[in-house]
Amino acid sequence: MVNGYAAASLQEALELRKAHPEAVPYAGGTDLMVENRPGVTYLFLNKVPELKAIAEDDQYIRIGAGVTFTEALADDRVPQLMKEAVSRIAAPAIRNAGTFGGNLGNGSAKADSVLIEFAADAKLRLVSLGGERVVDVDKFYLGRKKLDLAPDELIAEVLLPKTGLEQYYYQKVGGREALAISRVSFAGVFAEKDGKITNIAAAFGAVSDTVLRFKDLEAMLLGKTIEEAKALKADYLAAYGERMQLTRGRVSAEYRKTVCLNLLGAFLEAQGI
Amino acid sequence: MDAIKFTLNGNEVSYSGSGSDRLLEVLRDTYHTTSVKCGCKEGECGACAVLLDGTLVNSCCVAIGAVEGCSVVTLEGFRETERFAVLDRAFAEVSAVQCGFCIPGMVLAAAALLSKNPHPTEEDVREGLSGNLCRCTGYNAIVNAVQNAAKEGNGLW
Repeated sequence: MVNGYAAASLQEALELRKAHPEAVPYAGGTDLMVENRPGVTYLFLNKVPELKAIAEDDQYIRIGAGVTFTEALADDRVPQLMKEAVSRIAAPAIRNAGTFGGNLGNGSAKADSVLIEFAADAKLRLVSLGGERVVDVDKFYLGRKKLDLAPDELIAEVLLPKTGLEQYYYQKVGGREALAISRVSFAGVFAEKDGKITNIAAAFGAVSDTVLRFKDLEAMLLGKTIEEAKALKADYLAAYGERMQLTRGRVSAEYRKTVCLNLLGAFLEAQGI
Repeated sequence: MDAIKFTLNGNEVSYSGSGSDRLLEVLRDTYHTTSVKCGCKEGECGACAVLLDGTLVNSCCVAIGAVEGCSVVTLEGFRETERFAVLDRAFAEVSAVQCGFCIPGMVLAAAALLSKNPHPTEEDVREGLSGNLCRCTGYNAIVNAVQNAAKEGNGLW
């Protein structure tokens, strides 16, 4: 076809990717077609069966990059936290087309599924003709619209941990109920064992160049009891307030920061802190 | 260069333009299926919705190259079905149509919803139509029409 290459298998997709690095990988099209770059050539991945599967192994739920949000919502293996976020993306026709790989590849800090991947410490499997590598999702994002993806690589799968995501707090703040782009989004994941906090991941979406997570600040409460965490709460929130240097977007930087800190406080409260 | 082949309302067609062209524009300009309306070109209004292999998508957000080998149904094709007849009556009975611009997308969204969920609650209907904007009706009549169509077409969906 003119201005396009269609791949019927992952092998063919990788060969085309290597031969035509200028072709933009096309999964669901819902972001690319809004952008609609003049003269663009696409590498169509929407018929690649290897990218369309959801699988699981001992450690991970593995969501293929070409899996649509609608398909994930219908799958019992996909964690509830992820479902909660993707169920609020746009509207049915967009969720029918939009994919996990596309949400990542678009490089936006507003991507609702990517926020969950940050909070969940997800990994990404990237493939090329030369082999494959697995990277932490936060390492994959180098900056605004900048990804650690080589010109011959494709995103193959999202690896979500199978356990540890049961206790969560999720909020999307948008301008309306449906068809809303996140103005601020928040996902927190919490776990405790023997009365001590073992995980308190807090991820903020749509407020900076990439999704934000501050693991050194999370460490303030790791290993603490709920009572100890309560005593540290004010310091912890103040530390986040100091660290968050947010940019202005559709809403002001001040608004973003206030909402982020409110959501972080609500996350703690929901855990009894 | 191979042309892009797909079926449009049951007929095999082949498109020899650019694979990056919008399905919306190909449908309107090449095949003259003008029930497909152009509202926003951003996936925000649903006026260009079509059924792609039976699934509701916004044709503004689909490149024609992705449609190779697929089935596309627009309202021109859907209106030949019994399901359309039920929706048509239901929309007319409660005056769910005013200017009509959103209605082709609305009807296809309703059809997509009912084929997955034949007995939707009001909330299900609102969720199913949440990607289709209407500036005239205030939605309530449309929601009623879809609920009535579910009842009238009992067994059909």
